[in-house]
This record gives sequence, structure tokens and C-alpha cells, in this order.
Amino acid sequence: MKQLSTSLEGVRDKNIMQLKKLNIALFPVRYNDKYYADALASARLEAVLVIDDEKLKKRFTEAYYSDICVGAIACRLEKKDGAVRVYIMTLGVLAPYRGLGIGTMLLNHVLDLCSTQNISEIYLHVQTNNEEAINFYKKFGFEITETIKNYYTNITPPDCYVLTKYLAQAQPKK
Amino acid sequence: MALCTRIFSASKAIEILEAYEGTLDDDYPPENERCEHSEMLLYKVSLLEECGLLEKALEELHKKETKIVDKLAYKEQEVSLLVKLNRLEEAAKLYRALLYMNPDNYRYYEGLQRCAGLYSEKGQYSSDEIQRLDALYQSLQQEYTWSSAAKRIPLDFLQGERFQAAVDNYIRPLLTKGVPSLFSDLSPLYDQPGKADILEKLILELEDSLKKTGCFPGRTVKEPPSTLMWTLFLVAQHYDRRSQYGTALAKIDEAISHTPTVIDLYSVKSRILKHAGDLTAAAALADEARCMDLADRYINSECVKRMLQADQVSLAEKTAVLFTKDGDQHNNLYDMQCMYELASGESYFRQGELGKALKKFLAVEKHYADITEDQFDFHSYCLRKMTLRTYVEMLKFQDRLHSHSYFCKAAAGAIRCYLKLFDSPPKSATEKDEEMSKLLPSQKKKMRQKQRKAEARAKKEAESKNEEISASNVSKSGKRHVKAVDPDPHGEKLLQVEDPLMEATKYLKLLQKHSPDSLETHFLSFEVNMRKQKILLAFQAVKNLMRLDAENPLSHRCLIRFFNKVSSMPAPVSDAERLVWSVLEAERPAISQLHQKSLTDANISFLREHENSLMHRVAVAEMLYLLEPNKKSEAVKLIEDSPNNMVSIKGAPPVQLWKLEDCIAVHEVLENVLIDKEAASRWKARCAECFPYSRYFEGIRSSVVSKAYLNNLIDNSENGASNHPELNNSIALNGKLETFKDLKI
Repeated sequence: MKQLSTSLEGVRDKNIMQLKKLNIALFPVRYNDKYYADALASARLEAVLVIDDEKLKKRFTEAYYSDICVGAIACRLEKKDGAVRVYIMTLGVLAPYRGLGIGTMLLNHVLDLCSTQNISEIYLHVQTNNEEAINFYKKFGFEITETIKNYYTNITPPDCYVLTKYLAQAQPKK
Repeated sequence: MALCTRIFSASKAIEILEAYEGTLDDDYPPENERCEHSEMLLYKVSLLEECGLLEKALEELHKKETKIVDKLAYKEQEVSLLVKLNRLEEAAKLYRALLYMNPDNYRYYEGLQRCAGLYSEKGQYSSDEIQRLDALYQSLQQEYTWSSAAKRIPLDFLQGERFQAAVDNYIRPLLTKGVPSLFSDLSPLYDQPGKADILEKLILELEDSLKKTGCFPGRTVKEPPSTLMWTLFLVAQHYDRRSQYGTALAKIDEAISHTPTVIDLYSVKSRILKHAGDLTAAAALADEARCMDLADRYINSECVKRMLQADQVSLAEKTAVLFTKDGDQHNNLYDMQCMYELASGESYFRQGELGKALKKFLAVEKHYADITEDQFDFHSYCLRKMTLRTYVEMLKFQDRLHSHSYFCKAAAGAIRCYLKLFDSPPKSATEKDEEMSKLLPSQKKKMRQKQRKAEARAKKEAESKNEEISASNVSKSGKRHVKAVDPDPHGEKLLQVEDPLMEATKYLKLLQKHSPDSLETHFLSFEVNMRKQKILLAFQAVKNLMRLDAENPLSHRCLIRFFNKVSSMPAPVSDAERLVWSVLEAERPAISQLHQKSLTDANISFLREHENSLMHRVAVAEMLYLLEPNKKSEAVKLIEDSPNNMVSIKGAPPVQLWKLEDCIAVHEVLENVLIDKEAASRWKARCAECFPYSRYFEGIRSSVVSKAYLNNLIDNSENGASNHPELNNSIALNGKLETFKDLKI
């Protein structure tokens, strides 16, 4: 199949609406305006994931397929017991554009960033019946580490898995 | 000096230029003046061309080749001379050289066609000519494979099967690439008979094949998913063009649910809704599209346009100023001369706010006055820089400035406002006082208090605004810019004008001078002069209408009205009046419609000639009512019996003949002119069926009736962000959640 160009772009305040449209189409969960406002606040702090002690920085990236926005990934940094983790909030690609390597590109982008920083692990939540997603993440080395019952309120099944990937340290922890 | 003489005689100008050249040295010009000198030479050649001295011009051109710096202009000038001298072979060679430099310039292709003797103004070609043209373009396409013009031009003259093959080849790669302007590119083809059907069959085939196999018909290469979306996009626009709005909306909705992040889809949906008659929903959708890219000025302008069409003026202004400099936003919008006042004025006119409408129309007129004045800057500049050819063109442009369509629309709008003012003048101050005295004293006191408070508030606001402006100006520049605060923001003073018709005549004269071939000009002239009782001027307007388009319902109306009025006037008393009368008597036989006939008969014969056309029947009905008021019911029947033939094209679902704007006009006639409320509501119900999306007729699918439609557009998301359970033990996913199945944009 003809390969059209794909590219990644950080979210800007001018096209935040596109991110909203994507999320509405992709996920059963609706995010409120604060979520997007935070997205903007952090998007300006792009470039380098600088680890700041108290603040949590987020990172949003959109994927473009031939200049059409078709997917996005949103994640944030968290501190836990002195180590830094990355939590993936959302990752999705519009249905007609799946299977083209876009999801892989988005995830690899974040994984690459992680490997250049002192990130110990990266994790996310997945609904228990979402076989496709679970298989996708397993390909990258994620494992199911936990099951949480009744994590979601209005969708069935309400349970979710926690998928985690442990990363080798680039530098020894101080 | 050369320019002045040019105005009188081009040959004199040439003489002067030659004399000037004679005084120059051979090694002239120095490096820094080469451009100016070459401009002058080119100008001289163009003068020679104008004089008709073509051979000499060509000779000059060749002689001075080394000194002429603008190579492209040199070639273009040369080729134009060659064509005029009928040296077609040389010209053809030169055109090919030009094409090599720019294979997308339509004029070069046109020129090449002329050289081969294959050019026709209206695009009508015999089948033999089509063969030759086809061969020509095939070879050109081979030579310039990257040129889109070479592929597009054949679509205009090819017919039937060849056309189908060519258009298929043209569209496919553009759909894969994803070109949003594809439909606009193909749009002129819809005016040629038969091609719309071929296109329909073709794109439906493409859509079908993509849905079933993911490939184009007859191919095995899989297309990227975006191709289906762009195909649906094209199909929706196609149905929109053929006025099948229901199908168009269904297709665009399909495209949107396929890929909701493409802004062009929302813009097109907004346009479809506008055509279908639901302007409010169109404006809401345009706003949604705008929000998806807040840095895009074009989308912002489109959104403002839709809001003005939906009569949401204040919202439109707020949206428009998002792209102006902070601070003095309102003036900045005016300074940009973007002519938004035109749409704004028309919106106010529709809402009946004549004062504001007038203000806006006059603002547009002022823009044009400013443009005319601006030319004075260029006189000295151009002479200094020696850009002579462009300067002459600019002068010609200024001469025709007032024939520009924006100005015509604004002038027409202003005249209409004044006509309305004349017909129903606003309450004068004395009348207001009379009304006041009729009220009880306590009510009077309350009213006066209210007025005083309102005045005080307005004064305070104006003062604080003045302070603000002067404060910000002082801080910015240190000087004091006193920007005139608009003393009449709502155009009330304009409404109080003493003689609206005199004002109207000012604009009318400009229109008559610069747009004498427009029906509108003469129609307005007729209206104004009838009211002013200037019989001969009105007659002149009628004659012009007849000359331009005698079969138009508008012309028919004016003709009948005029002679009806004249026949009901009292017998001429003064000499002047008798003179007028005799002129009319002399001219009347010249009008073939009225030859040997009474007005009523003329009316009936007009009807017989245009029995099937809605608008013609309405004109006849109006006139029938005018001539014989007791035949009102007959007139109404005439309108209601109008056939709305469904035009059925092979294979496609039938499309009705009536157009939405025409039907709205008919409804107004029924209500206001024939004053038959029942007939008006019957008409409204009938049209609501024909135009289900129209707000005016309250069709079932319009946003007046189905609020659900609008709700879909408003984002319902009210949920909390999904928080990490460890940080926040309470489940943060509260509020409304919807499953995958219910997700719809």
C-alpha cells in the first residue's frame, strides 16, 4: 500500500480542539476541560522532560498521517519513592488508520524519551476486555502487574489491568 | 512628460521617448539604473503595439534585447506581437519555450491553441477539432508530466467516453493525495451538459469500490484509508451542487465519523446547510470548524461570514476582532478595508435596522473613496521608479474602480435603505412629543427619568472610553492622538435625513455611470425616479431594462407598473407636462410588448410565454392584482398552480426545479403584496416539504424544529480526568459516561 507521510507534533493551543475530537471518537471516557487546559499548560514546556521535584509535567503528542491528525498520546511524569515513572493517560489512533504503524510510532516516541531520562518504569491502565490493546503493549515488553476491580464507573467490564514496563537505568540512581 | 502625452496620443509619446533616447550615450545605462531603463524600453514597445505599428515594435524589441532586464516580460511581449502579426509558427515555438518555464500558466496554453488555430472563446469545438486538441494535449502531457494544467484543460473540451476516462485519471491521484480543493477545480464542468451525470456515476463507483475492497476499481493496490474519506467528501459536495441536500448531508456525516479531525469536512457541511436554508446551524458548524484551528485566519473569516448571514451580528464582530491588533480593535477592522461591512450592512437591512445598515453601506463607500484618493501617492512614485507599464494599468484600474461588485452591492444596499426610509419614515421628534403628551403624568415622569439616566450612562461611558483611548495612546507614543469617538454609533442621525431620495440619487448616479449593464442598476433607478415623480427618467430606466433583458420578470413588472401609473395620472396641464406626455406617446409604439395591446393583454401574453416558470407567474400575478384589484383570488391561484416539475435525470433521483430563495420571495409577495395570509401559510407548508432544512419555512429537519441537531454539536463532555488511583483514592470518573456505541459527532 502506498505509504503516505506520517509525522508527530506537539499539541498547541491553536489546535487543542482536534485533540478533543480525537478523544471523543476513540475513548469511552469523556475528559473534562481541565484535562485539556492542563495539556496546554504543559505543551509549552515541551522540548525536554526536565524533572522537577514537586511538579508533575505532562506531555501530549499528536500523530499526523498525510497532514490529517489521526492519533495522539498523552502521558505524564510521576514521582514514586524517589524514582520517576511515566504514566500513559491516553493513546489511540482513529479506527480506519490502525495497523499502519502509527500507534507504534507514538509509543516508541515516548519510550525513546524515557530512555534518555532517568525513568524507571512506564505504566498504564487497560480495560480487561480490551484484548487488542493488551496484545499491542505486550509486543513492546509490557506485562500485567495488577488487576483493579471497579476502576471504571459507567462502562462494563469495570475492571482494569495495570500494564507496566520496567526500564533499564541509563545512569545509576543517586 | 511622456505619460501626459500618452493620454492624448500614443504616437506623440513615442516621439518623445525616441528623442530622449537619442540624447543618451551608448554605454548607458549604468548598473544601478538598468531596471528603470529597461522598463522604459518595454513601455515604448507597448506604446508602439497600441499604435498598431507592430513590425516596428518587434524590431525595437529585438534591437534592445540586451538592455531589457525583465526577460519574462520580454518574451511575453514578443509572443503577443508575433501572434498579432500572424507569424504563428514562430509564436508557437515561443509559447513552448514559455511553457517550459511555467507549464501551469493557462494563458500560454491558450496562446498555443490560438497558434494552432484551435481556440474558441466559448469552448465549442467540432469533433474534428476535439481530436486535434486531444492529440496536442497528449503530447504536452508527455512533455510536462508534472503540470496539472495540461491534465485539467482537456477535461473542458472532451466529451462522452473520452471525458470519462480522462476525468477518472485526473481524480484518482488527487483523491489519494487528499486535495481538498478538488471539487472547486471540477466545478466549472457542471455547467456543461451531460458531464455532471458522468461525474456522478464515476465517483459513486469509486466510493463503492473503496468501501468493498479498499482499492480503486480495476486495481489491486490498496489505497490508504484517507482516500475513502476524501471520496466521501467529494461525493457530498457533488450532491450539494445538484441540490440534493439530504443525501449530501448523509455523506458528509459519514466522512466526519470516519475521520473527525479534518477541518475541511466541517466547513463543507456548513456550506451544505447554508444552501439548504438552515443558516443558524451553518453558523454554529462554522464556529466549530473555527475552533479546531484558532490560528487560521481564513476559517475565522468564513465563520464571520456565516454568522452575518445568520444575522448574528454582534457575535460575528466579536469573532472577527480575534484577528485584529489588541486595543483599538474596531477601528483596526475598518482600516483593513476588508469590506466585512457589506455583509454586516445586509444583515442589518434584513433585520430592519436601517440606521445601522446605512452606516455600514456608507462605510464601504468611504473605502472606495479612500482607494481613489490613495492613487495620488503613486503619481510621483511611479515616475521616479519608472514602472511605467504598471502605472498605466493602475490608472485604468482607478477609472473602473466604482464598477467593482462590492461597491455596487453597497450602493444598491444604501439606495434600498433610503427607499425604505422614504416609504415609511421614522417617527420625527414632534411626533414623539405628541405621543408623550398622551401618557399619564406619572408615566411621563418615569420615562423622563429613564431617559436622563440613559443619557448620563452613555455620557459616562463615552468619557471613560475617551480617557482609556487617550491614556493608552499617551503611553504608547507620548503624543496625544485624539481619535474621534464616533458620535453616531447606531446611525440614528443618518435615519433623520431630510430627503432620502436625494441621498439615494447620489449613489444611483455612480451606479449608472459605472455599471450600466446591470439589471439591478436600472431597477433601482426606476424605483427612485417613480417616487420622485420624474417620469422621463423612470421611462429611461424601463427602456434600459427592456434592452438588457425583456423576458425577465423584473423588467415585465417595471414596464406594467410604469404605464399603469402614467395612465392613471391626470391630463397634462403645464407645458412641461405636455412635453413629457408627447415624448411618451411617441415612444410607446416602440415597445413591442405593448404594441396594439392593453396592459392586461400584455400581462396575459407574458404569462403564456412563461407558463412553467415560477417567478414569471408570480410577476404576472402581482401585475394582475395591480391592474384589477378585484381579481385577487385569481392572482393567488395563478401562483399556487405553479408547477414544480421534478426534473428527472437518468439514473439520478428527481430534483425539483424551484429554488429556495425564489420560494422565499414568493412567500413575501403573498404576505405583503397580495395580502392573503391563508394563501401565505398554505405556501409555507408546501415549501416546508420541499425544503426540509429551511429555517424560514420551518422544515422538519431545520434547527428550528429539531433542537437535537444542535445538541449534537455542543460538546457534552463533563467528566473528570482519569486520575491515578494511588494519588486520589476516590474514583474520579464521575458524571456522564457514554459507551462506544453512542459516540457520534
